Amino acid sequence: MTAIGAWSPTGPAASGVAITIPWLGAILLMAWRRHARILGFTASLVSVAASVGLLLAAPAGESLREALMVLFSCLTLASTLMLPKRDCDAPTMAGILFILGATLAAYSTDNLAVFLAGWILTTVPFLVRSWFRAPSWRPATALSLSSLALALAIVLISTSGHALSIEALKGQSPGGTVAFGLLVTAVILRKGICPAQAWVADLAEGGPAIPTALLVNGHFGALLVARLILPLFPRTAGNLFPVLSWFAMATALYVAIRALTEDSPRRLLSFVALSQSAVILAGLESRTSEGITGALVHWFVVTVSTMGLFGILRLLEVRFGENLTASRHLGLAQHAPRLAVSFAVFGLALVGLPGTLSFCSQDLLIHGTLMSHPVTGVVLPIATAMNAVSILRLFARLFLGKRRTGFTHMADALPRERWILAGGLLFVVLGGLFPNLIVAQRSAETDAVALRTDAAMQDIPRKTSGLRARAASPQTTTMDYVDSKQ
Amino acid sequence: VSLSQTALVFVVMAPGAVFALLAVLWLLGWVPSERVLSRITGLTFTACLFGLATLLWTLATRASAITVTFGNWFAVHDYRFPLILMADRWSLPFLVMTVALSGLIGQFSATYLHRESGFFRFFLFLYLFAFGSLLAFAAGSFDLLIAGWELVGITSVLLIAFFDQRPAPVENGLRVFAVYRAADIGLLVGVFALHEWAGTASFAGGMPTLKEAQATVVCLFLLLAAAGKAAQIPFSGWLPRAMEGPTPSSAIFYGAISIHAGAYLLLRAQPLIAQTHTAATCVIIIGAATAGYGTLTGRASADAKTSLAFASLTQVGVIFVEIGFGWRSIAVAHILGHAVVRTLQFLRSPSMLHDYHRMHSAIGGEISPTGRHLEDLIPETAQVWLYRWALDRGHLDTILDRWFIHPLLQISRLFGRLDGIGMTAGSIPRKESSISMHSPAEEAIK
Repeated sequence: MTAIGAWSPTGPAASGVAITIPWLGAILLMAWRRHARILGFTASLVSVAASVGLLLAAPAGESLREALMVLFSCLTLASTLMLPKRDCDAPTMAGILFILGATLAAYSTDNLAVFLAGWILTTVPFLVRSWFRAPSWRPATALSLSSLALALAIVLISTSGHALSIEALKGQSPGGTVAFGLLVTAVILRKGICPAQAWVADLAEGGPAIPTALLVNGHFGALLVARLILPLFPRTAGNLFPVLSWFAMATALYVAIRALTEDSPRRLLSFVALSQSAVILAGLESRTSEGITGALVHWFVVTVSTMGLFGILRLLEVRFGENLTASRHLGLAQHAPRLAVSFAVFGLALVGLPGTLSFCSQDLLIHGTLMSHPVTGVVLPIATAMNAVSILRLFARLFLGKRRTGFTHMADALPRERWILAGGLLFVVLGGLFPNLIVAQRSAETDAVALRTDAAMQDIPRKTSGLRARAASPQTTTMDYVDSKQ
Repeated sequence: VSLSQTALVFVVMAPGAVFALLAVLWLLGWVPSERVLSRITGLTFTACLFGLATLLWTLATRASAITVTFGNWFAVHDYRFPLILMADRWSLPFLVMTVALSGLIGQFSATYLHRESGFFRFFLFLYLFAFGSLLAFAAGSFDLLIAGWELVGITSVLLIAFFDQRPAPVENGLRVFAVYRAADIGLLVGVFALHEWAGTASFAGGMPTLKEAQATVVCLFLLLAAAGKAAQIPFSGWLPRAMEGPTPSSAIFYGAISIHAGAYLLLRAQPLIAQTHTAATCVIIIGAATAGYGTLTGRASADAKTSLAFASLTQVGVIFVEIGFGWRSIAVAHILGHAVVRTLQFLRSPSMLHDYHRMHSAIGGEISPTGRHLEDLIPETAQVWLYRWALDRGHLDTILDRWFIHPLLQISRLFGRLDGIGMTAGSIPRKESSISMHSPAEEAIK
């Protein structure tokens, strides 16, 4: 099967537009080097429109792939507007558009080769010294090794399964335990699961803030689990995948503890984001409807919140200097009250404040993981509690305290930034007030998974929620619904 | 929908709606004047009182409980988060107390915080707090109660850090937040266990029956959460730190509503507690120990608000004991009486010396402190030892720091060192262009 033939059948043209326009925009920017924001905004807007078209055309309950495309393209659109003037040059914008195209390619495809290409292409700007590469050696190494592990796994899978289509390979465990191990290695390296967690903080510290947030918020590790590992290796995953889940929970706890004494705002934010996103893996592995739905909803919350937090932090750095620290009170709320409030809401939304969407996702995740792992599942609320303390500490140190007098006047959120922040806040708050709009959609997708589960999953024991016996459907494989659309 | 159901929804939602409206207006750049804000506050809580009067009339004449069901907030398969509001003989007193005292504090603060830079912020938090409290007290399920409970916690912390120009209130707020979040793990896990074993966390149709072992586990987790919120032993150390906030917020949080939220949680869970002797005994022991602790440490407190806070703690400890014994009606009456008196005392605390002088003048002598006759029974050496113990607030903070916080921070630093393996010393330079936080003058001084 060719790569082109494996594009989404519901809208190959729309998928093509969503992916190629950002790339064309990137090429144009590199050649022309003018009007970076306008070009970036336009290309992202086209991508958003195409993704929304795909989402509207997607069948009910089978729209996660399209929803993720909309989410990421909206995120990039927001980035193009939020990027401070100082950072808004042609190479940065081109890099952002490049990441957008590659990420959407990986989200939308059913072909292993295209998936690999998308995976690698998203990392390219972070490997090139003149682009986004951080001065530390760890990010480049982790990203390269993860790509290598995935490439080896895909070679093994395609040679033993004689196909490149995920749909065709479903349930066959192609490549056996070696391929499975390589895929898990790729997840660990890309997602920053312990012991490979340090590169995320290094990149956040030394790399450009907003592109780094985009890279991390692609959640390729979770995507790999959902798109490849669970559908292709149901038996192996059933037996060995809990190990990855324990690693994910250990990561959530490890980086939550690590964040408690971190004074660099960027590092601290990256630790909290990493801890919260590691929880997504645990939810996907929980093999309970609550856990999987919670993980999918949490994916959205973490993405929007961390993007907002990194964006605000960059705006603060541009206005007040880059040596911001969480070791003393800086009193920036006096100068930038709207940025302060936005930071507080995004931060608390990340850690489960009632009235935000993460309250619902955390509730579902905690129920799901505790059902699945009654002992280790307790790690989740503990890690979340620590993350909440770290976020509030960062907020308190950055924004509260005596008003600084070292500078005369600094602008609060500019109008374009204000609209973007308001959009993000509306998403997390309205999503929290009316969560069923999002939860029901993700839950329906989980249902679709249950109905289409491969026969190979039949003998994997189901986790039921105690007295609440469920309908006798086989256990979920999370994102099979993506493949079921073929 | 009946009038009483509408009234219940209005009472709970009105402060939340005003909060949302004011917050949006602020984001759009409009801040109401002190006079307007004061009027809005008066109107809102007066209207809520009328709503409560309707509820009271309905409960007194027709129904034993008023329930409003909105369906599920969200649902995944057979896991549901029901949105049920309920006013019954246990929740209505708390609703009345919250509305009446919030309105009172609003009016008091209009004068007390006049021309304070955080005037608007205070009222915003007051509305959010009132909404959270009303949601927690009117919740028909533990799930919804958690939502209100968390809102009360976060507003409490934000108000402790109200005077954010000084580091101490901010740091103390952070400490209180940490304790709240640690204790809230008990609530989350307890409610999960209730879902798992009873199939629901709703108490609108009566509390479910569990096996004794299951009831014990659930109750002990809920007790952990209640103890954290009510500053019971071993969490009592945060209460004096919370006195950094403005006096009106101290009055409503730690004299009246927030401090009793833990007791309310136990009141709701009391049918479960009654099923298990272990949990009931734990509630009684913790309550009694806290009462003793509160009265001893309160005597060694040098400032008015802290001694009042410990006096509150003593009474809440006694209330826990009453709940442990199953005397729910007595506990509710005790809470109402205590909340009203303590709020008055807190509000008068800035002029406490003046009040004492007036009382002394009136009676022609000094008022002897309560419990002096009991103090005299204790040997002098023991009195000295107890005084030292009380002065350090029972060493609770020291124990918490030494045995929990410091080891945790050391582990965190160890993780930091592990993360740094393979890296050269010093921070990673930025890709992005860099400017200094400091002004040229500050740089020169550095």
